[in-house]
Amino acid sequence: MKNVKNVLRFELGNYFGSKSWIISTILIALLCVVIMFFPRVLAGFRNDDEENSSETVSEEDMSTYAFYDAAGVMDMELLSEYYSDVKITVCEQEDEVRNLVDSQEAELGFVVTSPTSYDYYVYNKEMFADYQTRFQEYLATLVKYSYCEKNNLNPEEFFALDSVNITANENILGKDSSQNYWYCYILVIIVFMVIVMYGTIIATGVANEKGNRSIEIMVTSTSSTSLLFGKVFAGAIATLFQVGLIALSLLGSYQLNKEYWGEGISMFFDIPTGVLIAFAVFGLGGFLLYAFLYGALGALVSKVEDLNKSAGTAQMLVTIVYILVLVQLTNIDGILMKILSFLPISSYSAMFARVAMGSVETWEVVVSAILLYASVIGMGFLGGKIFRNSTLRYGNPIKLSNALKDLKKK
Amino acid sequence: MRLELKEIKKSFDGKEILHGISFSVESGKALGLLGRNGAGKTTTIRIIMDVFHADSGEVLMDGSKFHYQPGDIGYLPEERGLYPKRVIGEQLVYLGMLRGLNKKQAVSNMKKWLERLDVSEYENRKLDTLSKGNQQKVQLAATLVSDPEIVILDEPFSGLDPVNAQILKDVITELIQEGKIVIFSSHQMSYVEEFCEEIVIINHGEAVLTGDLEKIKMSYGEGRKVVSANNYTLPELADKLSSELSDMLHVVNTNKHSVIFEMEKGYDQWQILEKMKQLDIDVKSFGIYEPSLNDIFVSKVGEEEADK
Repeated sequence: MKNVKNVLRFELGNYFGSKSWIISTILIALLCVVIMFFPRVLAGFRNDDEENSSETVSEEDMSTYAFYDAAGVMDMELLSEYYSDVKITVCEQEDEVRNLVDSQEAELGFVVTSPTSYDYYVYNKEMFADYQTRFQEYLATLVKYSYCEKNNLNPEEFFALDSVNITANENILGKDSSQNYWYCYILVIIVFMVIVMYGTIIATGVANEKGNRSIEIMVTSTSSTSLLFGKVFAGAIATLFQVGLIALSLLGSYQLNKEYWGEGISMFFDIPTGVLIAFAVFGLGGFLLYAFLYGALGALVSKVEDLNKSAGTAQMLVTIVYILVLVQLTNIDGILMKILSFLPISSYSAMFARVAMGSVETWEVVVSAILLYASVIGMGFLGGKIFRNSTLRYGNPIKLSNALKDLKKK
Repeated sequence: MRLELKEIKKSFDGKEILHGISFSVESGKALGLLGRNGAGKTTTIRIIMDVFHADSGEVLMDGSKFHYQPGDIGYLPEERGLYPKRVIGEQLVYLGMLRGLNKKQAVSNMKKWLERLDVSEYENRKLDTLSKGNQQKVQLAATLVSDPEIVILDEPFSGLDPVNAQILKDVITELIQEGKIVIFSSHQMSYVEEFCEEIVIINHGEAVLTGDLEKIKMSYGEGRKVVSANNYTLPELADKLSSELSDMLHVVNTNKHSVIFEMEKGYDQWQILEKMKQLDIDVKSFGIYEPSLNDIFVSKVGEEEADK
């Protein structure tokens, strides 16, 4: 094991000595910064435009909505108040509304068929667009006015009573799952991607060494355990550097531009420090566990082309864990999630999700972390033995089950 | 120092590959490890280097169990392998440090061996930018970078032009003079004859011939003579001797220049020469047969194949 440091240093050269790796890392980080600064730049342009020609431009930019009052209940003055930012086109019949929308001269069309019902037309419906709330409020107001008139009520008093403001102060003593769900979702995806991507890089590196026969020189120059630990630690450092730099660029530039982004993406970026620490601890453990497995699997093949045959085992395991954890995010304190958060093959993803969203005791986190890191060490030594037994065996890919059987024979 | 292998046996997937290999080699001597492809030479080397564990038998150093340390042995495998996309100097220093040198020693040894092998100008180049011959020399520098006491060279001359081959010959000679143990595996028998005092011929996982090369040659040449004639081709001469002198000798073989024969009991070389004169054989050369290693190898491995 004394050579781990030498192997680590040399293997790091494969990453940091690669111009394409360095340039792509910097470019992705810069792209993140540019994206995060984009709303600020856009706001700057908007302010200039508003100062120069706000009135004329806003007139031109207004959307057109078409309305047809088939029931004869609409109040056009009230409609103008509700749609002050829209050009209103009043039609004489339903087909006219339909044609205006169909020709895209109007963005939306409403045909009121009774005081409490209407049809509406839209050309292309966007996934999250809300076309109806404002119109429904408008019709409801008309109904309320009509009620006041029939019952001889003062509309002002009625509306004041109808819109009493109730003030509520939310005090969350535990965790806000609605807020934490989205960044948890993103972090589960990130850790999955990192394990698969870098695991494959490590396995490819080993298979390449076997392919170009440098492995024979290496295993006779130091222990296979030192080789595997050095390779995996180098992969971990390179990953931390690359993912860390990109995350830092993204989160740092988000913090600088938070006010320009509004509430829309805060759910992804306002991650509590405790959750970030749990993510780092468990994410790193999971990465190391699978990296050792990928390294050993890389030694089972003689050619990089055969890598899919052996690395499929790890790939399948990581994917199953990924799907199970994602599905269980909405049932974070369920029994399956509890089991997954203690199994070393899945705790890297499940436990930090529980820390972020569920009810979890400190001892549970500690026990899970100990189990995970003990497994990392165990997998390191097991991977080293598989690596040693497999590196000088050429020909057809060796099955993992056969490699494990061979270990028993020793 | 004396490296000794005793009754080494090794099986893979239930099939025994080595059936009890034994040989030894001492400091300041080179051992020729010979055998056909797949005979078990590389497996034997890997057992010495602790890459494979023997099922039974021992590897001893000066009579005690040999505990392999990476710095002890410099190994040039037949399948060359370094990192094609990494800088040469960096790779050699890395290998030196893995084998126990500190960085200063590793850098110094890297420079020394690159210079000795006449490739120091490539120190800062990537390996895959070099010609095959120069890559081969870099590989040899990687083998020797830790100044090992035991050097195992598997087909070291493969891919080298005559000039580079001479450099390598000189280096091997120096290693032997410095008292290193050199194990030399090659199918190019002339090189083995040039360096090795002792040989081991492995065939089908068995050491079929071991010992001092000169003694082996003498024993193979004992009682045998060679003859050539100006007025007969070698096949004609062999036929003539077989038909006319069958009571005095029997023809064993022909090599490139002579007919090889063994004298029957009761006759000496002078009587045979006299008989040849009577038969009008114009003798061009007549002498004691000294077999080449190639002859011995073909003869020994051939015998084994015939027996099987």
